[in-house]
Amino acid sequence: MVNWLYVALQAILNGLLTGALYALIGMGMALIFGVMRIVNFAHGAFLMLGMYATYVLFQATGGSPYYQFPVAGILLFVVGYATYMVLLRPIRGQVDFMVILLTMGLALILTDGAQLIFGADYHQINIPLLSRNIHLGSQISLNAPWLVSFAIALVLACALYWVVTHTMFGRAARAIAQNPYAAPLMGINVNRVQAISFGIGSAAAGIAGALLLPVFYLFPEVGNQFKLKSFVMVVLGGMGSIQGAAIAGLVLGVVESLTSLYWGNEWALAVDFVLFILVLSLKPSGIFGSQRA
Amino acid sequence: MRKWQALIAAVFLSTALFVPFLVSTDYTLQILFRVFLFAALGLAWNLVGGYAGQLSLGHAAYFGVGAYGLALFSKLGISPWASVFLGVVLAMISAAMIGIVSFRLRGPYFALCTIAFAEVLRLVAKNLPSVTGGDVGMQVPLLFTHSTIRFFYWAGVLLTAFAFALSAWIERSRFGYYLMAIREDQDTALSVGVNATRCKLWALVISAAITGLGGALYASMFLFIVPDQVPAMDISTEIAIVAMLGGAGSLLGPLLGSVVLESASEIFKNVFKEANLLIYGVLIVVVVLFMPEGIVGAITRKLSLFKKAPTAPFAAPLPVSAEEESERMVLNK
Repeated sequence: MVNWLYVALQAILNGLLTGALYALIGMGMALIFGVMRIVNFAHGAFLMLGMYATYVLFQATGGSPYYQFPVAGILLFVVGYATYMVLLRPIRGQVDFMVILLTMGLALILTDGAQLIFGADYHQINIPLLSRNIHLGSQISLNAPWLVSFAIALVLACALYWVVTHTMFGRAARAIAQNPYAAPLMGINVNRVQAISFGIGSAAAGIAGALLLPVFYLFPEVGNQFKLKSFVMVVLGGMGSIQGAAIAGLVLGVVESLTSLYWGNEWALAVDFVLFILVLSLKPSGIFGSQRA
Repeated sequence: MRKWQALIAAVFLSTALFVPFLVSTDYTLQILFRVFLFAALGLAWNLVGGYAGQLSLGHAAYFGVGAYGLALFSKLGISPWASVFLGVVLAMISAAMIGIVSFRLRGPYFALCTIAFAEVLRLVAKNLPSVTGGDVGMQVPLLFTHSTIRFFYWAGVLLTAFAFALSAWIERSRFGYYLMAIREDQDTALSVGVNATRCKLWALVISAAITGLGGALYASMFLFIVPDQVPAMDISTEIAIVAMLGGAGSLLGPLLGSVVLESASEIFKNVFKEANLLIYGVLIVVVVLFMPEGIVGAITRKLSLFKKAPTAPFAAPLPVSAEEESERMVLNK
């Protein structure tokens, strides 16, 4: 009957499912950006690390990534915390030029390090859940693993939002985002809060990687596209606003899904960037309000 | 110091012209071509990234436009050298267009915007197979049909010499001082009447011309281009790193950076095989942490230790109020 409507609805639902994972990645980036004004070019490499960690774990234990994802989160929290302490803290106060270069260098080291250890081959894992589909009516079906990852990402995104808005840590982080010069005068340990923020942001990327593993291919450069998308989300959501980045993630998922449907999959990333350039040039404070995390 | 740099470069480049008579293998010459090509690209990047202090991470766009310009125009039946010229013009036009949009932004936003433009160009080249051959790639005509590698090498050396001479001239010109003033403090530069946007645009257009020419040379040397290789992020990064490693904002920096980086990458290619970018990463981290002024900057500081206090090329901005800062960071007013 109205077949195109079902097709579009299906694409939008698929987009939302993908978008939840994007949202998780984007929120991590936005937290880092908001608290530190650091554009983290290693965000994609952190996601890749999370994927490989989960992959190794899966090969060793055979357990599903859907309940082993916290391991990737913890690992990446440690990696992020250490990255801040060892690499980023010494160059605090330098122009963002240097920070961008440093995280780019770190991304190259991690990506090519993974290539050295695991090789350039594509990997994929197989779990029983992958072949399950959930049917809504006669026309629409949703892939079960995506649904599970959507649920987990949603819970984690809400938890992250709660942490930022309702805890002492979140309050300190927001204070630093608001005014990095006044915050230490109020007794906030800027170094510690920034290190923890960097850790949490990296953990979000790592968990997103773990959740992506069953439904995606794994290879050393897998993070690059997600890194670029997280830039788009941070800008769309409005500088460092984590709820903005979350909404931007969902929007990006839907936009990509619809682009793939009507123009072809290969244009999805190009549409992301065009959207990005448009937002930057027309409304640089982001499309979802100017409120910052 | 500047005179010495010019002298060193002049001696180095004129000696380099005689290398093909001493080197017998094409392979060595090909590597040396790459060294000089990236020295020229680094010098071109230096105009925008070094003197004007605008971190462009999308120079692959102009590189790609130069390369694809040569391929596309000669496919239309235009002679190769005329196609090179048209490609360079196209690179300059695209630089002007990209610059108009992205120079309205500051700091990290500018860098991200340049990446976005370069990526859009790559994806367009990838997704229009009827025009650019898509992922399969495109054939590029050979610019030198007689003792090919030697002439490419000489072209690379000459391009470097040209870029160097141009940089040396710009560095001493009023225009060059405007650029450096913008780098040090754009708002102050604006307040004393420097037309920052116009200066940055000119710097980018000049830079894009050299980069486009480099792209055409590169494409013609390898006879074949694919979107994932030529307007790729890796090229943008490599160009920026060459200049930063040697010393952004210095004349000799990009030249030295290219020699160090390309030879290091050649050595490590044999050790690490596919993971040869690892050495780039390590070099970047070392440079940022231990010598933020680059190799030339570090040497200069050592030499002039007893003469005058060292000055950092990129001073940290003074603290300002949060709202003012967040506005300043995004938009150029």
